[in-house]
Amino acid sequence: MTKLRTEHLTRAFLGLVAVNDVSFSMEEGEILGIIGPNGAGKTTFINLVSGIIMPSSGTVEYKGRDITYLPAHDRARLGIARTYQLIHPLENLSLIQNVMVGSIFAKGNGLRAARAKAEEVCASLGLTGLDRDTSKLTILEIKKMEIARALANEPEVLFLDEVMAGLNSDETRELIAQVQTIARERKLAVGVVEHVMGVIKELTHRVIVLEAGELIAEGPYEEVSKNPRVIEAYLGGAA
Amino acid sequence: MALKRRATILAALSAAATILILLWKPSVINNGLQQAGLYAAIAIPMGLVLGIVHIVNLAHGEFMMVAAYATYFACRATGMDPLLAVLPAAAVTAAFGWVVFQLTIKRALKAPELNQLILTFGIAIALTQAVNILFTSQTFKLQLDYVSASIDIGEDTFPVWSYVFVAFAILYAVGLKLFLTRTTIGKAALAVGQNPKGAAIVGIDVNRVYGLVFALALALVGAMGALFLTKQSIFPSVGSPYTMKSFCLVAVAGIGNIPGILGASLLLGISEQVLRGFRDTRAWADIVFFVLIIAVILGRSIKWRKS
Amino acid sequence: MNRNLARVVATLLGALAVALPALAGAYPLQVARNVMLYMALAITWDMLLRSGQISFGIAGLFGLGAYASILGVIRAGMPAWASIPFAAAFSALAALLIGYLILRLRGMYFSIVTLALAEIFRIVIHNLHDFTGGPEGIVAPQGVIFGGSASALYWLALGGLAVALGASIWFERSKFHFALTAIRDNEIAASTSGVNIFSWLLATFVITSGIQGLLGGIFVQSYGFATPDSVFSADFTLLPLAMALLGGIHGTVGPIMGAVLLGVASEWLKLQMPYGHLVVYGIIIIIVILFMPRGLYGLARKMARPAEGRAE
Repeated sequence: MTKLRTEHLTRAFLGLVAVNDVSFSMEEGEILGIIGPNGAGKTTFINLVSGIIMPSSGTVEYKGRDITYLPAHDRARLGIARTYQLIHPLENLSLIQNVMVGSIFAKGNGLRAARAKAEEVCASLGLTGLDRDTSKLTILEIKKMEIARALANEPEVLFLDEVMAGLNSDETRELIAQVQTIARERKLAVGVVEHVMGVIKELTHRVIVLEAGELIAEGPYEEVSKNPRVIEAYLGGAA
Repeated sequence: MALKRRATILAALSAAATILILLWKPSVINNGLQQAGLYAAIAIPMGLVLGIVHIVNLAHGEFMMVAAYATYFACRATGMDPLLAVLPAAAVTAAFGWVVFQLTIKRALKAPELNQLILTFGIAIALTQAVNILFTSQTFKLQLDYVSASIDIGEDTFPVWSYVFVAFAILYAVGLKLFLTRTTIGKAALAVGQNPKGAAIVGIDVNRVYGLVFALALALVGAMGALFLTKQSIFPSVGSPYTMKSFCLVAVAGIGNIPGILGASLLLGISEQVLRGFRDTRAWADIVFFVLIIAVILGRSIKWRKS
Repeated sequence: MNRNLARVVATLLGALAVALPALAGAYPLQVARNVMLYMALAITWDMLLRSGQISFGIAGLFGLGAYASILGVIRAGMPAWASIPFAAAFSALAALLIGYLILRLRGMYFSIVTLALAEIFRIVIHNLHDFTGGPEGIVAPQGVIFGGSASALYWLALGGLAVALGASIWFERSKFHFALTAIRDNEIAASTSGVNIFSWLLATFVITSGIQGLLGGIFVQSYGFATPDSVFSADFTLLPLAMALLGGIHGTVGPIMGAVLLGVASEWLKLQMPYGHLVVYGIIIIIVILFMPRGLYGLARKMARPAEGRAE
């Protein structure tokens, strides 16, 4: 079942086209990689889909409903959640309270129900010491907390923007396994932006490649990584 | 670009309205122009600080009030004409502003906007009340003959002294434009305003530039303090409406658009004078700026929602 | 802070507040009423500040409530007691209108518009002189509420404080706490977690303004007259702000501490410095914001838990 679809999605900033005519879709249970060189428009694309910014043209559809100009908080309620490349902890709330925010506002839960939900989500990510301040958390814990906050929305579509950045290889491996389990158990459609190709290769079922705001290739990682245009645009320098 | 287009539209509309009113009630235009000059000359320094240092200085009008008081007592003591005091007032106010910047505002530059607002609000109160303690809330005024200069056209008499404010406003707008585009320090200030981190990397002392811009703005405000005194009575809270009206004008022009402040001032000055032209509406002139700022915020939030 | 200690202190303060009319004479009761009024205003100012929005409009909404109350009595024939909730509703309605227009564009725009409110309302009151009494003010023919009984006026002021206190504690323990803190910490993360920022800010502005209007109503009924200069006085913005900042922002306890300290001090200052005693509050604001932005309560908590570093 198609969860999310964009048609000809375009966003220009003062004449600079950051996302250009991108059409794609995400299916239930799918982990989709969104890759491309720096400045390719990956984060802008996620911002457009999650409603942080509005497109110049094109449409966004969620489960068949047009949400192109819906505000971010309404999309969160419908079931689109995300994390950020630069961490966004709510530093005046404790760990568990951060996670509860998702449940309270996106699902409309009362505080008690939200706490129960938040505890359940934190447990699935192995988070403990739930009443700690965010200033006391390790970087891995903050990243997990932000994933937990997104999951407490009980989303159907989840975007993870460079969530592995800054983690060591053991931590990365642990988080990959957890994301896989969570996606499977909760039947999520997950969009993953990552720079580390090993993560993309291991985690995703399919990738789309952006370059200068345009979608230049899509398909399984093995296939896309052999595409000459992709190699030229992106892997050429790295390989 | 959008700013320029808007400024052009604004200018064209005000010009059209001006001509209409001129035919119908010439004294409104005469007074409105002079009022606009006063507003613009006070608002332009705020536009500089807000556009480059990104600080909303809620003590803006209060600094002018302090400069006017200092000038008043200097003139009373020495018998000097306040016009001679314009440059000294600018220098003294700039020095005062520099000290205030170093002692307080500099420390709040990296703090959230919230702290800067509360801090400059506190400075405004401290200045107003310090003057209140020293001189009570009594009003002071200099009696000068030349401020009643006027021109007779037909049967009407038009006072003209306050055109000196218009001259200063234009001088400020042109001077700042040249300063920001032609001088090294002006260019550095622009660079710092656009990208403080980048400017720091290429070796510009960001705090120093901020301090200089702030002091420069206060020099302009200080000169206005002396000039203001030629025509107006002064009392401790005389500056506070100018803080709010200046912000209104900067917001109407768009932050960073200094020439636009001239157009915005024309709109405010003439609208106020139109209301003052009738007995029934006279008392409502002072809420024009509030209506203007609400309109601007509404317009901007609609635009902001679209983008 | 130790929860039990806090509870003991709160109980003692509460007991003192209730026992005061039996213990003290008219002048101490009058001082207590002023302190409670400013304390309540400080709490409501802080409630909105928890979302990161600064209002400089306390005096405006307070004075508007005061006029709504006294005009409700004089022009609409309301009983004095009924005019007080009416004042709350009137200020809340004004805040709804203003907030709806300006809260989409927040930060300095909101703050500066609120800074102008007291002045704008004052001009409106001046200009509608046939209805409002204009610059000379207006006197309620039946005089002070409750016949001016010192203890009854005290209970009325205490009631106003209780409303502010109750609302503040409710904010701390309900979804408001999560919504406002999330908005203050990070608007983007808040919105993608489903927080409708505009609605929560509007609700908070309307509730806090309503309470400020209520306090204005209580104030004006306790004196039986209103003039633009007395009810829109800058004191009603400045003192609550200085009190909340000094005591410590973003919670109920700080503004209470600040109000007790500054409230008593201000009564003394007013006698010592008839002109310009407000300079003290300006200086307090500057010093607190530069050197102890968490206020005294924040400082006390930091000292009480040194092992935990900069924990909140």
